[in-house]
Amino acid sequence: MLNYLLYIATIGGIYALLALSLNLIWGGAGMVNLGLAGFFALGAYASALLTTAGHLPIPVGWLLALVAGGIGGIVVVFSTTRLREDYLAIVTLGFAEVVRLIASNEIWLTHGTDGISGIPGPWKGSLGREGFNVVYLAILIVALAVVFLLMRRIDRSPYGRALRAIREDAQVAQVAGKPVLRFKAQAFTLSAAIAGLAGALYGNFTSYIAPDLFLPLITVYIFLSVASGGIGNPTGALIGAYLVMALLESARFFVELIPYVSAVQRAALKELLIALTLILVLRLLPKGVLPERIPRAPRGLGG
Amino acid sequence: MELVLQAIVNGLVSGALLAVPAIGFTAMFAVLRFPNFSVSGLATLGAFAGYVAYGAGFEMVGSLAVAFAVAGIVGLALDQAAHLPLVKQGALPAAIASIASGLVLENVTRLLFGNDMRGYDRPIARDVHVGDIRFSPQQLETMAIAVAIMLAIFAALAFTRIGKAMRASADNPELAALKGIRPERIAMMASFVGMGLVGVGGMLLGLDSSIDPLTGARILLSIFAAAVLGGLGSVPGAVLGAVLIGIAEELSVLVVGSPYRSAVGFFAILIVLSVRPRGLLGERAF
Amino acid sequence: MNRTVFGRRAALLSGVAAFAGPAVLRAQSDPIKLGTLTPLTGAGGPYGPAMAKVAAAVIEEVNAAGGVLGRKIVLVSEDDQTNPDAGVRAARKLIDVDKVSAIMGTWASSVTTAVAPLCWESKTFLTTTSGADSITQLPHQGYLIRTQPNTVLQITRTGDFLVSLGAKKIVTLVPQTPFAQSSIDIMSGLAKKAGGSHVGLIYDDKKTTYRTEVDQALRSSPDAILCAGYTPDTVVLLKDLYRAGYKGKIIGQAYAINQKLIEQVGQKDIVEGVYTYAPSVAEGSNALERVKKLSGLANPDPYTSQIYDHANLVLMAMAAAKDTTGTAIKDNVRKVSQGGGKTVDNAIDGLKAIAAGEKVDYSGASGPCDFDDKGDILDCKFRYEQIKDGKPVLVKIV
Repeated sequence: MLNYLLYIATIGGIYALLALSLNLIWGGAGMVNLGLAGFFALGAYASALLTTAGHLPIPVGWLLALVAGGIGGIVVVFSTTRLREDYLAIVTLGFAEVVRLIASNEIWLTHGTDGISGIPGPWKGSLGREGFNVVYLAILIVALAVVFLLMRRIDRSPYGRALRAIREDAQVAQVAGKPVLRFKAQAFTLSAAIAGLAGALYGNFTSYIAPDLFLPLITVYIFLSVASGGIGNPTGALIGAYLVMALLESARFFVELIPYVSAVQRAALKELLIALTLILVLRLLPKGVLPERIPRAPRGLGG
Repeated sequence: MELVLQAIVNGLVSGALLAVPAIGFTAMFAVLRFPNFSVSGLATLGAFAGYVAYGAGFEMVGSLAVAFAVAGIVGLALDQAAHLPLVKQGALPAAIASIASGLVLENVTRLLFGNDMRGYDRPIARDVHVGDIRFSPQQLETMAIAVAIMLAIFAALAFTRIGKAMRASADNPELAALKGIRPERIAMMASFVGMGLVGVGGMLLGLDSSIDPLTGARILLSIFAAAVLGGLGSVPGAVLGAVLIGIAEELSVLVVGSPYRSAVGFFAILIVLSVRPRGLLGERAF
Repeated sequence: MNRTVFGRRAALLSGVAAFAGPAVLRAQSDPIKLGTLTPLTGAGGPYGPAMAKVAAAVIEEVNAAGGVLGRKIVLVSEDDQTNPDAGVRAARKLIDVDKVSAIMGTWASSVTTAVAPLCWESKTFLTTTSGADSITQLPHQGYLIRTQPNTVLQITRTGDFLVSLGAKKIVTLVPQTPFAQSSIDIMSGLAKKAGGSHVGLIYDDKKTTYRTEVDQALRSSPDAILCAGYTPDTVVLLKDLYRAGYKGKIIGQAYAINQKLIEQVGQKDIVEGVYTYAPSVAEGSNALERVKKLSGLANPDPYTSQIYDHANLVLMAMAAAKDTTGTAIKDNVRKVSQGGGKTVDNAIDGLKAIAAGEKVDYSGASGPCDFDDKGDILDCKFRYEQIKDGKPVLVKIV
């Protein structure tokens, strides 16, 4: 049971990183990034390739995954400067799909649909199974804490307020003198970099990645995490991610109690339970479990 | 050269099939102002409803009507219960809830019917040749049905009272309300007709290939892409977008090969939107 | 650093041991736990349900006949959603919560590759139907066997069969999978040796129309086409090939052109004359008949047959080992699957024989089920069938 819980906590932590990444640009700047899975994939493949074929040490792999995600973010945001939110959605979704297609088809680079296995984990040989799981969870918690504190800092800073202003009404923000494009690009790039880091952390933990991992479904789960946790609120994003993970896993145990159904019906009931619960959460708590608190402006900034 | 021409013809046919659900999607967006991703589940539901009706002896028109009605009613119920109450928070929370609704419908279908592929008991004919180009008579028939539905929608929007009321409401909700058009009734109409079209689209797709719980999920991205390409909210735009995406994908098979055909569709959208940020025909209310 | 790690580890482990203590005492009369991990949703959805059903049916029969080593078997069936992340979470639950001795039936190659390390690290036995050649090359230390013939074996035999039918210009249509490129390369080599030609085309298997792909395929005027995809895309391919007026030979995997496809394709002409191939039941084995009965299908697909074999092998290995751990299965599975002895094709007969001290040699629904050290099947025959008037008819077993 312990290994299972450790595993779920670790994967939940990776979802939480992705949720923080999404929260920055959605809750922050109101940009709809449906291409999360693509940046996740970029980071995962960067770190996987560099630490296997490239024989580079794992921290270097992670650093370069951040960079890979960030570069992906820059490319996307500068190709889409003229696009409005609803339209940004389909283009970012397309980006994620293109990344997945390249991963599947360019076998010389990515091993194609075979995936990359044997990705090294830190100290894996010397720690033994349980030791590795515990240590990795600790590493993940550290990474999560760093990113979370960074997000909170941004959230409460003037930069964060400017981003929220852009979210509410980009035109007004522009008139008020905020460099809208630059801020959006920065936020998007940072968000993409974090998603890339999450990908690297996933690969070095599970030791295997494949294009099948980067389907739009994972983006859906992250959106559901942020929406149910509370848009615009880093703590909400964290809670939302673990809520979704807890839901995904506990649904398994609930449907085991249902008698007289076949395996496929049980699987359908599990997915149904998860989707219905999420709709219920969204309906009853439309602002999420932890609604966004707009921090008060510091005193001294005029009445 | 005829390979290119043939690809264009192929694209026209697949685009026409895509156009019907794309119209539903974009019409709903025009009135309800959020992208309704549960169209994946409703296309599947419509396909299965039509399949059951067809198997029970309803003819083609009857089965299409059943597909329309079932999808329309369920879509309306979902919008009222789950999606519209969230639009107050913004389009995105409603869109996210609609993704979850799509998953609900997919799994209800799976619960009732299992994962096995099913097909309509309809004989398939070989293509006819006009010069060097081949046409499938049945796909042409399906295309004709799609075109007829589109014309009916256009006519209804242009000439009937309720159609004009929908357009007015989509154009300027406050003014329309002032003129006595009740926004809630328009919203219900939009949900019902929009989702009905999506259901019919699912059935037409199933007629062409086969149906299973993932039928709608396979075309969700293409529907969204078609509507966006044409301009969200524009019905003629959705038709144009669907046809163009169909053609672009078929042509791309010849150039970059089949594995990358979806990628080309997305690049085409990126290029078009960079030049015309509101879609080909611009964002309009119908 | 080291001290903190071990200190934390010891604390955790002693906490766990406190919970586990009473459980160890209960073990002897506890049921045996086994798991299936098949795609019940997602792209592999057409295959998983029947697989889970047949495994459950085998277990039920064995339980009714007294179980294994006097203990009943409890089967836990999870859904891998045809996705490695969901698959690993489900496998973790099966291994760490349900404490299964074996996981059976992983289907998607990416799921199997992702789940395999969990299994060999936790000494859980894994049986799979995945075909990617890289799977048996993983460092699984014997904790993995697969009943699906690898690509080289399959495609070579299929190519030989096509050549024997007189095919000269072959086209292979295959979706992007781990075996796509190797299939094309093998076929090209074979065709050239036979003095013919070959074109390989990889296609996107998530589409609902393949008219242009078919145009491309027919450009070289082939007389035989190998459709190496799965049911959802093969349905569309067959329809589009028919529409395009192709009248040559078509051959596809039996799992793609399965009973459901034949039933639903709507018109007999589309599948008339189409060949299918599958790993074959060994001579004298009634295993296939049993699978038909257990699954309720007149033409069960090869995956369903394979998981039937998985379940039987696992049960008999435990009986032969007089122990039910994954390691026991690993050490004893080849003692019941090969090497001479009484031929059995089902677990009940096998368990009876083992209890009486006999050596058994299992011969299953997917072939003779003899495995090499890496977990691949040593060899098997293939059965080639042709669909005539809506029903598959045996052509030959080779």
